[in-house]
Amino acid sequence: MSHRTSRRGLLFGTAAVSAGALLAGCTSNDTKDESSAAGGTRPAADDKPGKHVTIGFAGPQADHGWLNAINDNAEQRAKKYADVSLEITEGSNDTAQQIGQIETLINKKVDVLVVLPADGKALTQVGLKAMRAGIPVVNLDRIFNTPQAYRCWIGGDNYGMGLSAGHYIGEKLKGKSGARVIELAGLDNLELTKQRTQGFDDALKNYPNIRKVARQAAEFTVESGQAKMAQLLQAQPRFDALWNHDDDQGVGALRAIEQAGRDDFLMVGGAGALSAFQAIKQDNGVLKATVLYPPTMAASAIDLARALGQGKGVGGLAEFEIPSSITLYSAVVDKDNVDQYMPTGFR
Amino acid sequence: MAPEPPLLSMSGITKSFPGVRALDGVDLDVQAGEVHCLLGQNGAGKSTLIKVLAGAHQPDDGVIRWRGEPVTLRSPIAAMRLGIATIYQELDLVEHLSVAENVHLGHEPTTAGFVVRGRAAKEATGRLLRRLGHPEVDPGRLVGELSAAQQQIVSMARALSHDVRLIVMDEPSAALDPDEVDNLFRIVGGLTADGVAVVYISHRLEEIRRIGDRVTVLKDGRAVAGGLPAKSTPTREVVALMTGRTVEYVFPERPAPPPGDGGTPVLQVRGLARDGEFEPLDLEVRAGEIVGLAGLVGSGRSEILETVYGARRPTAGQVLVDGRPLRPGSVRAAVRAGLGLAPEERKAQALLMLESVTRNVSVSSLSRFARAGWIDRGAERAAARAATRELSLRPDNPAVPVRTLSGGNQQKAVLARWLLRGCRVLLLDEPTRGVDVGARAELYAVVRRLADEGLAVLLVSSEVPEVLGLADRVLVLREGRVVHTAPAPALDEHRVLDLVMEGSQAS
Amino acid sequence: MTQHASPPRDSADTVAPAGRTPAWRGLRARADVRTLSLLGVLAALVVIGGVTKPDEFLDTRNLQLVLTQASVIGVVTVGMTFVITSGGIDLSVGAIVALASVWATTVATQEYGFGGILFTAVLVGLGCGLVNGLLVAYGGMVPFIATLAMLASARGLALQITDGRTQIVTVDGVLSLGERDSYLLGIPPLVLVFALVTVLGWLVLNRTTFGRRTVAVGGNAEAARLAGIDVRRQRLYLYLLSGLCCGIAAFLLVVLSGSGQNTNGNLYELDAIAAAIIGGTLLSGGRGTITGSVLGVLIFTTITDIFALNNLQSDVQQIAKGAIIVAAVLVQRRTASTT
Repeated sequence: MSHRTSRRGLLFGTAAVSAGALLAGCTSNDTKDESSAAGGTRPAADDKPGKHVTIGFAGPQADHGWLNAINDNAEQRAKKYADVSLEITEGSNDTAQQIGQIETLINKKVDVLVVLPADGKALTQVGLKAMRAGIPVVNLDRIFNTPQAYRCWIGGDNYGMGLSAGHYIGEKLKGKSGARVIELAGLDNLELTKQRTQGFDDALKNYPNIRKVARQAAEFTVESGQAKMAQLLQAQPRFDALWNHDDDQGVGALRAIEQAGRDDFLMVGGAGALSAFQAIKQDNGVLKATVLYPPTMAASAIDLARALGQGKGVGGLAEFEIPSSITLYSAVVDKDNVDQYMPTGFR
Repeated sequence: MAPEPPLLSMSGITKSFPGVRALDGVDLDVQAGEVHCLLGQNGAGKSTLIKVLAGAHQPDDGVIRWRGEPVTLRSPIAAMRLGIATIYQELDLVEHLSVAENVHLGHEPTTAGFVVRGRAAKEATGRLLRRLGHPEVDPGRLVGELSAAQQQIVSMARALSHDVRLIVMDEPSAALDPDEVDNLFRIVGGLTADGVAVVYISHRLEEIRRIGDRVTVLKDGRAVAGGLPAKSTPTREVVALMTGRTVEYVFPERPAPPPGDGGTPVLQVRGLARDGEFEPLDLEVRAGEIVGLAGLVGSGRSEILETVYGARRPTAGQVLVDGRPLRPGSVRAAVRAGLGLAPEERKAQALLMLESVTRNVSVSSLSRFARAGWIDRGAERAAARAATRELSLRPDNPAVPVRTLSGGNQQKAVLARWLLRGCRVLLLDEPTRGVDVGARAELYAVVRRLADEGLAVLLVSSEVPEVLGLADRVLVLREGRVVHTAPAPALDEHRVLDLVMEGSQAS
Repeated sequence: MTQHASPPRDSADTVAPAGRTPAWRGLRARADVRTLSLLGVLAALVVIGGVTKPDEFLDTRNLQLVLTQASVIGVVTVGMTFVITSGGIDLSVGAIVALASVWATTVATQEYGFGGILFTAVLVGLGCGLVNGLLVAYGGMVPFIATLAMLASARGLALQITDGRTQIVTVDGVLSLGERDSYLLGIPPLVLVFALVTVLGWLVLNRTTFGRRTVAVGGNAEAARLAGIDVRRQRLYLYLLSGLCCGIAAFLLVVLSGSGQNTNGNLYELDAIAAAIIGGTLLSGGRGTITGSVLGVLIFTTITDIFALNNLQSDVQQIAKGAIIVAAVLVQRRTASTT
């Protein structure tokens, strides 16, 4: 029982082989009870120093607020642990360069790799190489071609984002007949944009009173957000709700809305930028909510990597081993819960 | 009619370019196994003729027969298929490819039609190079690393890599040392022994005597003599054919007291030199005087003019205008001091072909019509009109695009530019190149009139009669060196040709 | 001795020799035809927009919108037209716009208010233009390479300044300039700036020694040099001018979007080149038309507008844009080959 006590309330715990029998007797209900008893301390990881782990982190060039937040989250999280040292590479969007950087990390014999590939498919081979060299890989967000190339994948849910946004808007417009909805999508070349739109459309199918009347794709930039939103506003003199895929381009979209002097609809954002959270909190504009694509996944990836390096499992789960795949939930942040998320907002 | 028709027979070949009739009914017969030499001064039409033969130019009129059959040489490939290969003066090799790759460019030996058999190409190239007496050239080397002579061998190997029946060589000896020339002649002898015909172009009479069988002389786009025996025709007769006027130019009279006697010179050149191009040069041109530089291609004529003008930086010496030295290597300094250049390549070096005559004329004097950068277009038009009228430029409408003008009138547009600028010294480089025969006399008159009005003129021309007829004083150049200076009336064409060709005959 | 012994000095100045149809008439007519055909395309687009979306398209607000969206790229295109006319190319315009817009919106710059932002944007634009100009004119670098290097460096520096973050503008004077309250007689201030730059650009290209020298350098750099024009200094000035236009455009973009971001000006270089070429400026230099360039920009912006109003997606928009570029260049080649 002492083993179990020590694990209680901790996200990551010892997965001692000898404890197998004990853990086998531990039902999921028990665990749930224990963790809920732990209350607010749940997100905190085990700060007790364990075996030293060197984590190699390779990400793309931080040319977007969200990617920048990814790097910040990873670095901040690693700093928290005395037993973790982080080898972070210069971010690059060049596939060849990123491969080179990861190979360098492999040669340095880091204990665990965390990789957010510039292009998941193109970096699969180097993921495989690391795994074969005995270095577990935590694949962050942009997924490799094959599960053999990573030990654990953790990432956001683009389809789920669309679902969450669609459901939120659907509930808000419930009972309003002939409701009109428009969508300001992200870069159309990316698969994730298609997935977000698909989720959004699927969610709206649950609400027969709502019709999506227009969709334009921006480019995840403020400039394109302003331009495309201005066009949408001109094209649609009347609509009830707008979903914007990305809070960065949302800065431009909000600017266009302000310039057009429109306030006759509700707007939902995407990703979870600090500026969006602040606007939601102030509640004096059209932006009422945003659906998350949380950059905190990078912090979780560091936790996972540390656990892998120390041979531990995840607290709160019955299994000895950490999962091979973790898809994050795309929560809706609105006025009611914005304070809780404010610290995770990225600039 | 001989029972066996000649290998090649061109008759009545005519080719015009805007403003010039480059070829005017030229006939040329070439027999298999002979060396047929083409002689003629610059601009006589040799280059145009061989480009027609190579399929690079289409004749406007005339018939080409190959072994008696009429043929059309629509493209260089068509000519090559017949067995006609051309080695141009400016070698058309790809410097970054190897010797073997250059030789087989466009017809690489392949397996299954597309896999290049590099070894086979190298071996074939090696055989060709041995046949040409240059076994030391490695087929694998990059052409850019070879000497000029070796590159010429590669070019020749390329010609021979086809089944060639007729080979055209444009001044092949120009870039060669004497012993390399001997090797070249040995190759030519070998080719003709195999029944290949060679069309050989050279300025050097002595070479023609050594290897030529027959000579055709071109002059002003016409064949003035065809099929002369190369060994026995007297030099004097050949020179006379080359220089003899088919059209008598009328040169303006020189002013009664020779101009420039006494008085300070406007333009002084002191010890001006550029390494590898011309040796230290001194000359003076006084107001109202026309000084001519006569010499062959490669004698440094154009280089001298461009260096005087500041377009090239001299390695030694200086240029003075009205006794004040110019900043070396600065065109702007020269123009400010009152120099004006009418360059050899009018279209490439002087004219804005998309623009009107007005804008071509005013381009060097823009600030005169501008206040704070703002152009008074009325004043500009009026001034350009005055300058072009002064030179009787046709059509009498400076609004027309300069490219619609004939060669002579384009030249006048360039002169009008300097007239408008109010220049003191006019540098003329081949002023009648591309100017048709009828318009030349008029241009000569214009130049003389400008001199009479006080300009100092320095004239360069490869056409000896032009220099002799127009200039007051003549400097004869050979290989970057002044070999003779005399008042123009004291010289005649043969004397000048003797002087400029002396050196090459000695080699 | 001379064929034309006495020139007809009495003939009227403007009359061409009688009985001939001078070639220049054809040329001038062709130039007009080119402008007219661009206007025709624009008119056709207006008809398409008016028929498909009469209420939304034929609307003052839509006109304001189209012109506003055209302003930023329009100002860049005016500068680009000069550079292309001189036979050069400036691939760094988008990157300069990005760098100037982020430099002008850093916290430190914003402390200096409206003037600080405007001044910084213009100064950064000029600075980049100066570097481009020095590299091309005095460093002997090919414009393509020099400005490509500038593209990479300016984007990199912009990223370094922002760290990938969007810099929100908080200066009221700048923000309000992009809002309806500051429209003058219904004209957005951005459009006024665009119009002013266009008119000045036209005057400079067609009426000044600077413009004339630009055309001369582009038409035949060697001839221009031998005619006594300081070709290198002219090139330096041209890249400076392009940089200046980028700085102005960056300021307009800051006003329009209320922010600075390192991704600003994405692919402006291609849009500006395409608009200039469609307008009739020769990519090889020697001929440039500000009118044509501006019409090219307006055509592109109007197409985007019509497509958005009809809710067509970006893939169709891109295909149409490509087709129009090809068609315009083909037409241009045809007119050129009849010369």
